[in-house]
Formats: sequence, C-alpha cells, structure tokens
Amino acid sequence: MSSSAAGLAIDVLPENVLRDVVDVLVRLVEAAGAAIIVAGAVVAFVQFLRVGLGRRRSEREFVSIRLKLGRFLTLGLEFQLAGDLLRTAISPSFNEIGQLAAIAAIRTALNYFLSREIAKERAEVDAASDAAPRQSAS
Amino acid sequence: MTALLDGLALGLSAAALIATGVVLVATRRPTAALPVLLEFLTAAGLVRLAAEPTWSRLLGAAAVVAARRLLVGGLGAGGRAAPTAAVPPAARRTA
Repeated sequence: MSSSAAGLAIDVLPENVLRDVVDVLVRLVEAAGAAIIVAGAVVAFVQFLRVGLGRRRSEREFVSIRLKLGRFLTLGLEFQLAGDLLRTAISPSFNEIGQLAAIAAIRTALNYFLSREIAKERAEVDAASDAAPRQSAS
Repeated sequence: MTALLDGLALGLSAAALIATGVVLVATRRPTAALPVLLEFLTAAGLVRLAAEPTWSRLLGAAAVVAARRLLVGGLGAGGRAAPTAAVPPAARRTA
C-alpha cells in the first residue's frame, strides 16, 4: 500500500523536477532580497550625498538615513532567509547543508542585531526630537 | 548572475567609502562615519553571499558582522564613559 503511494508520488512529482522548481524559486527569492538591499543602499547613498553636500548637515539626518538603510537590509535579509529555508528542501550533500547552516546562522544573527540596533537608535532619535521642542519652549 | 552580484557588491563597497568620507567631512566625527561604513559593507557582504556561497565569502561576511558587533559595543561603551562625545561640534565650539 505504502510502496504504491510512494510510486505514485514519484510519478506525479519526480525528484529532479522538484529540485529544478525549488532551484528557480530560491534564485527568484534571493534575487529579490539582493535587489532590495541594493535599492536601499543606492537610495541611502544618494541621500547621504544630498545631506552631506547640502546646507542642512545635522547628525540626526545621517542617523535617520542609516536607519532607513538598516530597514532595507533587514527586509532583504528576510527574503534571503526565506531562500535558505527553501534550499533546505533540496540540499543533498553534507557540505552544502553545512554551508547553508552557516549562511542561515550569519543572516539570522545579523537580522537580530540589526533589528535591535534600529529599535535602539529609533528610540534615541525619538527621544532627541521630543527633547528639542521642550528646550526651545523653555 | 554571480558576476552581476559581484559587480554590485564592489559598487556598494565603493559607495561605502564615498558615503563615509562625506559623513566624516560633514560631521567631523569618526564615530558618526564608522557606522555608515559598516552598514554599506554589510550590504556588500550580503549581496556577495547571495551570489555563490563559498566558505571564504562566508568568513568575510561573518567577519563584517563580528566587526559590527565589536564596534557598536565599543562605541556604545565609549559614549557612556565620555558623555561629552555626544555633544555636537557646533555646541562644543560655542561652549
């Protein structure tokens, strides 16, 4: 009974077809992640130049641009982690699984630290912008 | 695909140097410019990892992440130890 079910599954979805489909999906998802990261970096770079070469050069502006870049990085990382998850379906060799685990660990750690840094710096920027009107009022 | 992503990563590394220089000139504070450099280098490392994952690329990305943590922790500790460092240059000149 079970062997006939397995045979049916192989007929419906052969392993090489599954491998090809997942491979295409992984490439698409990882390319989307890389595109988001590059787009964020380009936007941040232009803004850094605009603020740095303009007249309104405040450090808070630079921090806010950096936070924006950090948000793009975390979004891109989420896509790349999704690609890693998909890849676990088709990793055949122990070396590939090891690399995958290392990449996923780096990306997860980076995602965690980036999110924490963004939250911390966002709180600092909010506190500074709350303090500014109070100082000008007094 | 790999060549394109490698080229993009190289471009991001160049952008890292330019943006860091701009921030350094504008604020005259290395503690403000260094996080910008690290942010762009992290982006370059992530794009490079998306290309063709090899152990050397992995080590490079891990080194940038470790350097980030070390510097963020170090700068945070330095900022707590010397609160005057948080005062903007313009305010320090008038003081």
